[in-house]
Formats: sequence, structure tokens, C-alpha cells
Amino acid sequence: MTVMDVKEPSATEAEAKSAAVADIEVDRAALDTSIAEFVDKNPTYYQTAFHRIHDTQRGIPTVFNMAAFVFGPFWAAARGIWGFFWAFLILEIIAFVQIGRGTWGELGAAALEQAERQAARAQQFLDQAQAAREAGNDPTRFETLGNNLMRAAERSRETADAAAGDALNILITGLVLLLVLRLVQAVWGNLAYEKQYSRWRVDPQSVPSGLKQKNLVLGIILGLVIIPLTVYRFTIENIPDWLTAFPANSDHYTSTARWLEDVIDTAARSGAGAFDGIVLGVRQILDAISVALIGTPWIVVMAVICVFAWRAAGPRVAIFTAAALAYIAFLGYWEIAMETVALVGAAVVLCVVMGIPLGIWFGKSTRAYKIAEPVLDLMQTLPAFVYLIPIIAFFGTGNPPGILATIIFGMPPVIRLTALGMRGVPETIKEAATAFGASRWQLLKDVELPLALPSIMTGVNQTILMCLSMVVIISLIGGGGLGKVILEALQFAAKGPGLLGGFAILFVAMVIDRIVQGAFRRADQR
Amino acid sequence: MPESVVELKNVWKVFGDRAAETIQAATTGDLSKAEALEKYRTVIGVRDASFSVARGEIFCIMGLSGSGKSTLVRHVNRLIEPTAGTITVLGQDVGAMGPNELRQMRATHIGMVFQHMALMPHRSVRENVAYPLEIRKIPKSRRWAISDHTLGLVDLTGYEDRLPKELSGGMQQRVGIARALASDPEILLMDEPFSALDPLIRLQLQDQFKALVRDLNKSTLFITHDLDEAIRIGHRIAIMKDGVIVQIGTPEEIVTQPADDYVREFVQGISRLKLVKAHTIMEPLANGHTKQPADAPRVEGDSDLDGLIDIAVGTDQPLVVTEGGTDVGVITKTTLLRGIQGGR
Repeated sequence: MTVMDVKEPSATEAEAKSAAVADIEVDRAALDTSIAEFVDKNPTYYQTAFHRIHDTQRGIPTVFNMAAFVFGPFWAAARGIWGFFWAFLILEIIAFVQIGRGTWGELGAAALEQAERQAARAQQFLDQAQAAREAGNDPTRFETLGNNLMRAAERSRETADAAAGDALNILITGLVLLLVLRLVQAVWGNLAYEKQYSRWRVDPQSVPSGLKQKNLVLGIILGLVIIPLTVYRFTIENIPDWLTAFPANSDHYTSTARWLEDVIDTAARSGAGAFDGIVLGVRQILDAISVALIGTPWIVVMAVICVFAWRAAGPRVAIFTAAALAYIAFLGYWEIAMETVALVGAAVVLCVVMGIPLGIWFGKSTRAYKIAEPVLDLMQTLPAFVYLIPIIAFFGTGNPPGILATIIFGMPPVIRLTALGMRGVPETIKEAATAFGASRWQLLKDVELPLALPSIMTGVNQTILMCLSMVVIISLIGGGGLGKVILEALQFAAKGPGLLGGFAILFVAMVIDRIVQGAFRRADQR
Repeated sequence: MPESVVELKNVWKVFGDRAAETIQAATTGDLSKAEALEKYRTVIGVRDASFSVARGEIFCIMGLSGSGKSTLVRHVNRLIEPTAGTITVLGQDVGAMGPNELRQMRATHIGMVFQHMALMPHRSVRENVAYPLEIRKIPKSRRWAISDHTLGLVDLTGYEDRLPKELSGGMQQRVGIARALASDPEILLMDEPFSALDPLIRLQLQDQFKALVRDLNKSTLFITHDLDEAIRIGHRIAIMKDGVIVQIGTPEEIVTQPADDYVREFVQGISRLKLVKAHTIMEPLANGHTKQPADAPRVEGDSDLDGLIDIAVGTDQPLVVTEGGTDVGVITKTTLLRGIQGGR
């Protein structure tokens, strides 16, 4: 097409580009400047060492680092290789403990003490035997006892001697260990330092470089605190109490606990109206679901569940559902199982109703999400037993407080995954909808929610499973359902009822999980 | 002067907290993009841009990535707020509009096509095209009728009930064009619509698009990073560099009179055969020398070089350029070859 002349690359350029790979020279000078800048002190040694490492084709390049050999972890500290410092500091402490035990450790002290005690006791018996003989009584019993104890004391003394004789062995073991550790550090030091150099090239701001006095001092202080105390603890038999147990003050504990109790009681009293209102609301939802599940004839409920399983997840799940329901019904768990389902249902409804709007908000506002994230983490990581106590204080016992505890545990996934889904909606599609005049509400309804739906559904599914696992625990605060059956069985160590109830819970969980997953999978495919 | 549909006057877009200071400094003195970043921690996206688009015109904005062309076009429907300057669309000041008015304008007067199609994956092709109408609450029967008709315009009849992911890239972009046309807007904003497509499809779509816009008499603002595309499609081209519009002109003006070295470098590789006209390269006849051999071939002043070559190969005589029946210049083979080369 074009008639303009094309500029030919000049001959020299072409040559420079076509140099064979084999002819490429290693640019030592540039590397040396960079290494010198990195190591600061003693550049020539490290330049040679790093070159050796860079030139190694196979195996471990053996470059002996004298500084690392002599100073050990403190060399690593001065050079800022902190991982190396900690690893070898701890390993060297083991060696130092051995050396300490070998030199001044009171080896066999316990056995020696025992020998003394036994010998004293034996002497007592022998004295008694003597007394008996003088009194004309039979001394044999005391003599046998005394002699036996004497022999035992002798054995103990032998053990103690043997232990003391081991001291030299232990000392040598410690010294050898230390030497080996230092050798390893001397060889490995440069390799680790070269790794650090490679990282420093990428991120010179945060990767430590050079020989820093500050780091050295920090390393020495750490070593001075850690090594002597640890070695002292493991080599001396009688050590002061403050070294083994933290000087705790039980008064602090009592007063803080009492203060917390007061705070909770006051809060519960002053907010009683609000808390009762919440309990009432939850109870209403629970009652509605309970009436639907338990009030309706069991034939109807069973048939509806099976048909729903069929429609949502196919015939195999429907057959499994029928079998599971039959098991529950034949063992007389029907009503109790339905109560469990009602508890889960109420908790899930509340989680979804509160969680999805919150998730939408957190998905749109990064700042809100940053504030909420630690709370969500807390809700998920706090053991359920811990927040059961304040829930009793505020909401009392029974099913509604149990549902509230379930919500705390079950709501985070739906919030998180809704927010994740909202943030995953491509900007371009949102922009397109805005460009065609969509309002914020239309944008949410037509673009963001539909595109975030798969993620939201995953969140709902996870919430359902978490709520299911929680309904057993809420029996501890008076929650009903199958959890109560298990708790009673546990209290009386009743193996049979416990296992039957356990399987009933398992079946309820599996049926709900299969149906929900099947339904969501179908929705996904659409 | 034809009626102007879109008009931008001294539009600035500066990202950062100290935008006002940056504009102040840049208008009074000479502040480069790098200096603004260093001195004020601001990024100049668009710098003092002014142009207008006439009714029925295809106005191309051409620039490399990062030159601010996509930012500039988003000012027209205020997807991006200008830092300074006025934007007038169909006689209305866009900056003065309230949220409802703005939505109204976006929905009825402006259609937009995006580089990455931006179709809604969960809706069928028909529902995607009908979405702008749905926003305007037009009843479903009308929506469907209009979107089927618009899909017919871009040759996609028969694909109405498919999902976007079932279509090829070129077809998806045609859906995007249909969506932009669905609410019959006066103005089309095309943000690199064909850049993500392969070259052959791109050529087809360019021709199809050009014909479509001519038939429907839409005014188009067309963003591209490809000068060839700008020249094929545009009536006028604006070349942008670092947020500044360097030159505005017809394709021929851009190619024959580049404003600076930057533009010159761009147009170097462009074929002049279809762009340069006979009157640009001819040697004008001085008065009194109007007598030319009667058997020499006559060409019109606005015939392009391509046509001149066809005539020149069939004759040994120079070509005589006529305008309005009188001879005005001659083109010898040397002039022609030099003209192809670029007048050197």
C-alpha cells in the first residue's frame, strides 16, 4: 500500500541485535557496583562470593563465610537476615543448654538426693533392728527392710554417678552441635545473603541492606535476653518461681470479672425493652415457620419436600430425601426434626434479609467494608461458647436467643460473598448502563444484582450450612430440636439414642444441602 | 456553517486535589504533564479541548493510549465531570443539567458503543438492545419491535434470542451498535468500537457502520487509535497527544499539511492514493499559457491520485487538470510520482 520508503535499520544495529546467545558477556562491573551498594562493608569479599554462587552450575556452592562462622546469628542480625538469625539462635540455644548441663549442670542431683533419703531410712530401720535385738525381740523384719533399702540407696547412688559421668558426653555433644551449626551457617550464610540481595534489587526500600549497627545491637540484646535465661532455666535444678510462672494477680481477675458482670447486667436491664422486642420478633418468624412445618399434616409436608427435591435437584436427590425422611419419621423424630428445620429456616431468613443489603453496602463502599471486616472476622472466629453467655444475659434462654446466636455465626458468609459479587461486576457494563441513562436503582436492579447473583447464592448456601452446624450447639442455651436430643444423650452417656439422633441431624443437613446445591446449580446453568 | 450538535469549549480535565491550581499554572505558563504530576500531584487528562461536531458528521478523535481521547469523549454525556469548560449538546449546556435531566438526555439523545462491548451477559441479544428503551419505561411490545428492527439494521436478524456469549466478537459489537441505535439518538459516541476485533472484520464493520450512519443521518464522535481507521471513517479528524488536541482537519489536510512533527510521523505510513487530489499536486498554469494540446487527457481537479495513475499509464502526454471546463494545471509523470511520494 504505502509508497513511502521504509527506513532500513543501520548495519551496526542489526549486528548488535543478532549476537549469538553464546557470545553474550557477563557484565561483572555493573553487578559489582550493585553488590557493593548492597553489602556496604567488605564489598570485595561478597562480590567474589556472589560471583561463585552465580557461576555455580549444579550442587551447593561452598563459599565459607568466616564472619558467619565466628559470630553466628549475630552476623545474620547485623546483615539484617532476620529469618536466618531466629532459626540459628534457637538451634544454638539447644547447643548452649547441652554445654551448660555438661559443665555446671547438677546431673544426677535428684538421684543422689533419693539415695540420701533411702540411706537415712535404712539407717532408721537398722537402728530399730538394733533396738529390737537389745530388747530380745526378733530383729529379722527390720533387718530385711533396712538391708533392702540400703541396696536401693546404693543403686540410686550408682545412677547418680552414671549421670554425673555422662556430663562429659553431654558437654561434647553440645560442643559438636555448636560447631556443626556454625559450619552450616558459614556455608549457608552467603547463599541466604545472596537471596536477600536478589530481593533487595526488586524492593530496595523495605529489604534491609548493608551492615547496620542498629540491627547488630538489636540482635545482641535479643541474644542476651534469650540465651542466658533459657540456659539457666534448663541447667539449674532449683530456680526462682518468677522464672517459671508469670506473677499473676488474682485480685485483678476477680475485680475485672465483677466489673464486666455489672456492665452486662446494667446494659441488659436498661435495654430490656429493646431486647425483648427482638426476641419477640424472632419468635414470631420461628412460630410462623414451625406452624407451617409441624402444624401442617406430616403427609403434606413430606410430599412437598420430596417433590421440591425432585424439581430442584432431580430424581436421585428426591429418592434420598424420601429415605432420609422415612428414617426420621419411623424413629419418632419427625416433630423434633421439623423444629430443627424451623430453627435453621428462621436463622437463614434473618441472615439473608440482613446480610444481602449489608453486603451490597459493603460492596459499594470500601470504607464501610474496611470497618466491617474485623467485625465479620470476629463473628466467624469467636468460639460459639463465648458469645452464648452474653446472649443469655441479654436475651434469656430458649429458641429465639438460640437463633440469634446462630445468626452471629451464620451471617458473615452471605455478607462477604454479596460484597465480593458486587465488586466483581465489570466497570464497563456498569458504565454502559449509566451511559444509557440508568438511575442508581436501575443499575442495581438490572446490572449489579443479576451479575452478582452467582456469588450471592454461594454465600446463601454457605450461610445455610453454617446455621445447620450451629443449631446443635444452641441446645446448650435451651434451644430445642435434634440438638436437645443429642445434649440429653450426652449428659446420660446414652450411646444408642445419641447415635440415632446424630444420624437424624446428619440426614436433615444432607437433605437441605443437596436440595439447595441442586437448585443453585440449575439456576447457575440458566 | 452547518448546525453544530456537540460543542466543547475549553474543556479541561485534571485528576487530583489541586486541579484548579494546575489549570491556573498551565494557562498562564507552560506546564507539561510531567511537571504537573511533580509539582501539584495532578494528572492532566484533557487540556483545553475545543471542537464542534456538525449534524451528520463523523468526527474522529485519534490518539495513542493515554492521550486522553476516551476521557474526552466521556465528557459529552458527563460520565466524567469536566474540571473546567463548557459542553453543549443539542443547544443545551450539559454541565448545568440536574440528575434527572442528564439521565433523560443520555437515554434519548446519546447512544454509546464501547471497546469491550459491555453487553449484559445474563440478557438475550434482544433484551440487551432493548435496555435503553426499558430504562425509558417503553412498553415491552414496542421495545421488542424496535430492537428487532434495529438488529435488522446490523444484519443480526435471527439472533434475537441468543445470549451475547454465543456470538462472535464482531457480532457482539454489532449488538453494541444496535443497542446504541435503539433509542434513535441524534448522537453516537463510539469509544474504540472496533479495536478489539480482527482486521478483516474491522474493515467490514467500518464500511457497514459508515453506510449506516449516512443513511440514518447520525452525528458521530468516533474514538480510535488507528489513523487508517480515522481516515476511512471520519469526515474530520482531531489528533490528540498528552491530552491536547494537536490538529483538527479533514483527512487530506492531516496527510498533506501535518501541523507538527508528531502528526507528520503518524501520517508517514498512510497511503496518499485515495486522499490527495489532482489540484493539490498539479503545476498551475500561468495566465496566457492556457493553450494545452487538445488530445491530452483531461482530469477533474478533485480526482484522486489512484485515478490519475490509471489515466497516466495509458498515455505519453501530461494530464491536463480542468475545473469548470477550463484548463487550470498540468500533471506530468514526474509531478505525479513526486505527488505520490509526498511532494519532495
